[in-house]
Amino acid sequence: MGSIYGLTALGLTIIFGVLKVINFAHGSLLMVGMYVAYWAIVFTGLHPYISLIIVVPVMYFFGFYLQDIVIKPIFKAEKDVREPITVIIVTTGVWYILDNLTLLIFGPQYRGIQDNPLRGKMIEFGEMMISVPKLWGFVAAVITAAAVYWFFQKTRMGRAIRATSLDREAASLMGINQFKVYNVAFGIGTATAGIAAVTLVPFYNIFPTVGVLFDIKGFIIVVLGGLGSIGGAILGGIIIGLIESIGPQFMTATWTEAIVYGLFLLVLFVKPSGLFGVKYDW
Amino acid sequence: MNILEIKNLVKDFGGLRAVDTLSLSIEKGQILGLIGPNGAGKSTAFNCIAGVYPPTGGEIYFAGEKINRRKPWDLCKKGLARTFQIVKPFSSKSVLYNVMVGSFATTDKTAVAEEKALKVLKLLYFEDKKDERAGNLTIGERKRLEIARALATEPKILLLDEVMAGLRPAEVDEMVQIIQKLRDQGITIFVIEHIMRAIMALSDRIVVIHFGKKIAEGSPQEVASDENVIKAYLGDEYVVS
Amino acid sequence: MTRQNINRFALTLVGVVAFGLPLVLRSPTYLHILILLYLYAYFTTSWNLVGGFAGVLPLGHAAFVGIGAYTSTILSLQYGVSPWLGMIVGGILAAIAGVLIGLPTFKMRGAYFALATIAFSEGIRVMVENIDYLGPFKLNGPSGFQIPPKNIGLVNYMFIGKEPYYYIVLVMLIGVLAFTYFISRSKLGYYLNAGGEEPEAAMALGINVARAKLIAMAMSSFLTALAGTFYAQFTLYIHPKSVISLDLSFEIAFIALIGGRGSIAGPVLGALLLRPVSDFSRIYFGATLPGLHLIIFGTVLVLVMIYQPRGLQEPLTRAYNRLLDKIIGQTAQGKVRHEYS
Ligand SMILES: Nc1ncnc2c1ncn2[C@@H]1O[C@H](COP(=O)(O)OP(=O)(O)O)[C@@H](O)[C@H]1O
Ligand SMILES: [Mg+2]
Repeated sequence: MGSIYGLTALGLTIIFGVLKVINFAHGSLLMVGMYVAYWAIVFTGLHPYISLIIVVPVMYFFGFYLQDIVIKPIFKAEKDVREPITVIIVTTGVWYILDNLTLLIFGPQYRGIQDNPLRGKMIEFGEMMISVPKLWGFVAAVITAAAVYWFFQKTRMGRAIRATSLDREAASLMGINQFKVYNVAFGIGTATAGIAAVTLVPFYNIFPTVGVLFDIKGFIIVVLGGLGSIGGAILGGIIIGLIESIGPQFMTATWTEAIVYGLFLLVLFVKPSGLFGVKYDW
Repeated sequence: MNILEIKNLVKDFGGLRAVDTLSLSIEKGQILGLIGPNGAGKSTAFNCIAGVYPPTGGEIYFAGEKINRRKPWDLCKKGLARTFQIVKPFSSKSVLYNVMVGSFATTDKTAVAEEKALKVLKLLYFEDKKDERAGNLTIGERKRLEIARALATEPKILLLDEVMAGLRPAEVDEMVQIIQKLRDQGITIFVIEHIMRAIMALSDRIVVIHFGKKIAEGSPQEVASDENVIKAYLGDEYVVS
Repeated sequence: MTRQNINRFALTLVGVVAFGLPLVLRSPTYLHILILLYLYAYFTTSWNLVGGFAGVLPLGHAAFVGIGAYTSTILSLQYGVSPWLGMIVGGILAAIAGVLIGLPTFKMRGAYFALATIAFSEGIRVMVENIDYLGPFKLNGPSGFQIPPKNIGLVNYMFIGKEPYYYIVLVMLIGVLAFTYFISRSKLGYYLNAGGEEPEAAMALGINVARAKLIAMAMSSFLTALAGTFYAQFTLYIHPKSVISLDLSFEIAFIALIGGRGSIAGPVLGALLLRPVSDFSRIYFGATLPGLHLIIFGTVLVLVMIYQPRGLQEPLTRAYNRLLDKIIGQTAQGKVRHEYS
């Protein structure tokens, strides 16, 4: 579970790192990804993980055009605002729309994949029993994080994105198209949510408000790990995942939740830049 | 008496030393000019004095008191006001509103603040724009608004960072006049400027810095004929030795 | 007639209508809807003190509603303290909580503050759901409290019929609006606006921006908690999911934003326009098209932020001014003095 949180947080952190905006619709994007994966699997009969080849491009373009059509106009209108709060608000509007449109179209019922080759599969690790789909989730999280890291360090587009995240004015002076970069970053962030969705589908129900849960967890993790830090997102996800899986053995599940919030507030007071974050410029 | 005194000021940004053991002082009622090529560290020095950045080393004294780690708002209340090279108006508000924010530094009453703000606007020949939205001003007017706001806090010393850059020649002349008028009212002025004509006309003394280091100091005439200064401005290759 | 006279006349008219309405409107259902409408306008106006003037985005105001509702309810049910007194205690507790959230976060980027307020209010909800007793106080976990309607009377904040509640919330709304008006013209109002728009310039002009925001936060959370008590006494039933819900926090913030943050009329306007839309779409389409009102809400939010980022109050104020110009008949003479506050 921690790895899914990590993947969700990874997408959030990519988008925050570049656009300096918390994407409140991120959980909803995860939800959309789950529905895409679900229908892809149902219609084609593919193995759940193979649906990645459909989900990832679909989600990438979904994010790309979402940013291009809905969010870009605001950045253009508020060019000189360092951190446009308006964008946060718009992403929340998108969240409301996506969740409730899904509710209108697909109804409130919970869905799961019927002939699921992975359901309930376990593998023994010495004393421990580990669920196979969760193990794959972990592998996917690590590979995705590594791939994203490689992309930002080594490719031309990746470097352009990093340059923009450091200083959008300077980058645009150097001939980098700021808005193209934003579109791509948003697309990548959304595609990451798609990957999280695919790894989640084999062992989790699909319903219109499934995203909210991951939304809030995602926020907590990115702040824990340090907003904008890729490694921090994954590690933060694993920490929260561990608390949630070990905690219930000693106390009620809701208390575990309380501990997660407590930890969040503690970090906020003690080291506001996050466990692995860098200090901000003001 | 020196109203402002800086001793061996150092400011590092990571590996970059933006200000390097800079020492200077300003007498009360003087106009001191600070010049140097782009990126010499002038604005950084101002930001250290005004409390925006904590200095890496050295001491800053204002009216005899050490102010190294004081916060910008405390310094403002003590009588140290500054303008920003990159202007920062409260764009959605009127000019009058902007200036009133400054005048609240010395009063709690809105009516008094408004009165004082209007006085400042009058002093700067800016009254006719008082209801204009700050975001709609021209660059020259925005620079003037920066001064008006700072002035409204009733400073003892005013730090002006390139308030004439981007102005038309007629506007520059007007600005020179305004600054002289402020000095005549007893305000000490520390000014960064690129426009030589203006800084030569204004300053009692000039300090020149290059790569964060002071390379010359003296009256405008002395500085203008200084070899190091010419080198710094025109480049080393120009000097045939 | 001058502009000022017309404004004063319009304001008086609105006041008279608001106070006279219960004499004409006898239906409890409509009174109920109106009471909730005023309550929301009160919430958004209180929110606006920090979310509008201070230029930050608090998304956890339900926590303060909850603190207010729970404090007065617990004190009155378990210790026999009058809810009016409990209301003040709740307000003070909420103000302290608000300052505690603001302290570490007002120096950070705005996103941190938004996230911290969400986590704080969710944290409080989870806590209340889990704890039955907090020291000597019974919290009653997820089931909350049912307030028995006995001991009717002013001292006990308990009335028969809706009219008294209507007048209480109306007076509260007028009070908070007057307070906002007063703040917006005071030094603090100037300081909040300046610090919200250009913090560095504000600091250079003598403003301790973080402190100004903390004061605003304390006032806003105090006022919000007062309405929490009202909510408890009016509905006679509170539980964590109703008074400390994230949905409530978001609704407060977004109604204020759509109406126009930072202006005095904006948040009230937002409540006036949006509450009925969501009420009616819930009533008429709730069964057939679930979630429609939230789709409308989201769409309005997105469109307003793109085309009118300062909220609906801006175009409406302009229209109102043009109307006044027509009435006075001085459009031809041109320049109207515009206020940007
Ligand atoms: N906040 C900062 N972080 C890192 N480097 C900075 C910062 N501010 C200024 N610098 C660097 O310090 C040097 C001096 O800059 P500045 O004081 O603005 O020069 P001037 O005002 O003389 O043109 C420049 O090389 C600039 O890039
Ligand atoms: Mg400079």
